[in-house]
Amino acid sequence: MEFDDLRERLLLAGIAPRHVRRYLRELREHLDDLTAQQRQTDYRAGYDGAAAAIRARARLGGDDELAAAMLAQKQFRSIAARAPWLVFTVLPPVAAIAIGMIPIGGLILAGKYFGYLGRAASLPPSWFQMLGTNLVLVANLTTMPLAGTLFVAIAARQRLKLVWPLAATLMLLVLVVRGDVLFAAHQKGHLSIGFGLVFLQNWGLLLENWPTALAQYVLTLLPVLWLCRRRMATAA
Amino acid sequence: MYVTGTSSFMSGLPELAILRLLQDREMYGYEIVQAISDRTRRAVSPGEGVIYPLLHGLEKSGALKSRRKTVGGRSRVYYSLTAKGARRLGLLSDRWSELNGAVEALLAGGALGVR
Repeated sequence: MEFDDLRERLLLAGIAPRHVRRYLRELREHLDDLTAQQRQTDYRAGYDGAAAAIRARARLGGDDELAAAMLAQKQFRSIAARAPWLVFTVLPPVAAIAIGMIPIGGLILAGKYFGYLGRAASLPPSWFQMLGTNLVLVANLTTMPLAGTLFVAIAARQRLKLVWPLAATLMLLVLVVRGDVLFAAHQKGHLSIGFGLVFLQNWGLLLENWPTALAQYVLTLLPVLWLCRRRMATAA
Repeated sequence: MYVTGTSSFMSGLPELAILRLLQDREMYGYEIVQAISDRTRRAVSPGEGVIYPLLHGLEKSGALKSRRKTVGGRSRVYYSLTAKGARRLGLLSDRWSELNGAVEALLAGGALGVR
């Protein structure tokens, strides 16, 4: 396709995908105008206009020139390209907690709405207990893989080095995100919900529910393994 | 981002041309390039596509704003000057007039030197 090489070159140089997309779209529109104009000129000169597209493309500028013009605008580099260490080591645990908080947050809101949270709370009915337990289980299984997928997708989209999505995955595997829900009578009511990071060295806590932990690990590794395979296939 | 360095005499010239053209009316990229080429009698004619990063940079700095508009069945991005862009144009125009005067004086001085 037209401009494929230019797109790859800009992405590899760290230009944010949305800026690349906009640039290429306007280049295509410009090329259409140029081709139409060139065709008219060719017809007037007595030619059949077959070479109009080639002449128009030459007038638009070569890939080197077009890439250099964009690369001179440093502000269009993506944050991931400018500070990958920040994006791929600091943000993964934050993103995982944010993702995990969506179902947990929903459960907290529902608990508040039905009056199962607070000092004068009543013990939640069995349907709510089942919903809470399953929701936390699903959150535990999907949060880390989803966060891993997110950072692998960022790296794949921006053509970043493999080391960065690997670092993000490693961070997620070291700082395991895990949620807990407890339905029992205690001082402040009958429902407590917890969600946060469990450090890898806290094996005891992870081994308590090893099938979930194992599934978390395997599912979290899948996206980065897919990217490794894809990169190797591209290189070969 | 504005080109402010003095590493090249051409630095800031495309920016000045764009801002000046858009002072009159909103235009799309292809129109701007053709207008620059016509008005400079093709003395300034780089690869036409290189104008877009400059337009995007000027928009990001607040000197221009853009909107997508469909005219005659063709959808295009039209650029127009903002108040900030107008101030920038005034600044650049003064700088180029000064530089132009300086070059003319230099050339005149060169001719006298031969005498």
